[in-house]
Amino acid sequence: MGDRLENRLLALRTERDLTQAALAELVGVSRKTINTVENGVFIPSTVLALKLARALGEPVEALFSLPTEDREQR
Amino acid sequence: MTTSADIETADRLSRRRARMLFALAIIFLAQQVSYLSGPDTGMRTVDHVKIAAWLVMSIVLLLLLTTGGFWFYSRKVRELMEDDVTRANRGDAIRFGFMAMMTAGIILYFVSLYEPMSGRQAIHLLTSVGIGVALFRFGFLERRAHKDG
Repeated sequence: MGDRLENRLLALRTERDLTQAALAELVGVSRKTINTVENGVFIPSTVLALKLARALGEPVEALFSLPTEDREQR
Repeated sequence: MTTSADIETADRLSRRRARMLFALAIIFLAQQVSYLSGPDTGMRTVDHVKIAAWLVMSIVLLLLLTTGGFWFYSRKVRELMEDDVTRANRGDAIRFGFMAMMTAGIILYFVSLYEPMSGRQAIHLLTSVGIGVALFRFGFLERRAHKDG
């Protein structure tokens, strides 16, 4: 409820010259899924986060992180 | 294996569905206003036709809401259209529809103390509000999900 998740999906995708549709094809999801994750509208499931990380060849922590204030509370 | 053609088709149909849901919700709710504002005779042939039309449309819309529609497309395309985002949006929309229906039920209870209403009319109103609001919300969330940036 009200949880937030920062992501670097857009940056990592554009670094690799991938369109949303191309990344969607690699992961096997719809373009809408990629769009909503990039925009922070949708928090992906663990499975989807792992699939995205694998498709981009990065550890999942490089793609997703908790907002700074959440990290500082720990 | 997901192909780019499947993704493109799913994307196009999903956008069409988002627009369609919005339009259908408006048409459906507008039709109910004209139906419920008329006298509750319920015995004329025309009334039976109107009730049958409402019933058929309600069932079709309910199926569209719960299954996502586009039943004649390939399984792969329908799976892509039924992604995590769509399922989350549907859950939210059904929650909205349920809350709207309960609120309408509470209001109807108090209204019926002053304005008698038949059981059939009450069921018609509550069902229409539940389906209409859920469709509207689903359409809104799906349209938002398709917006870029």
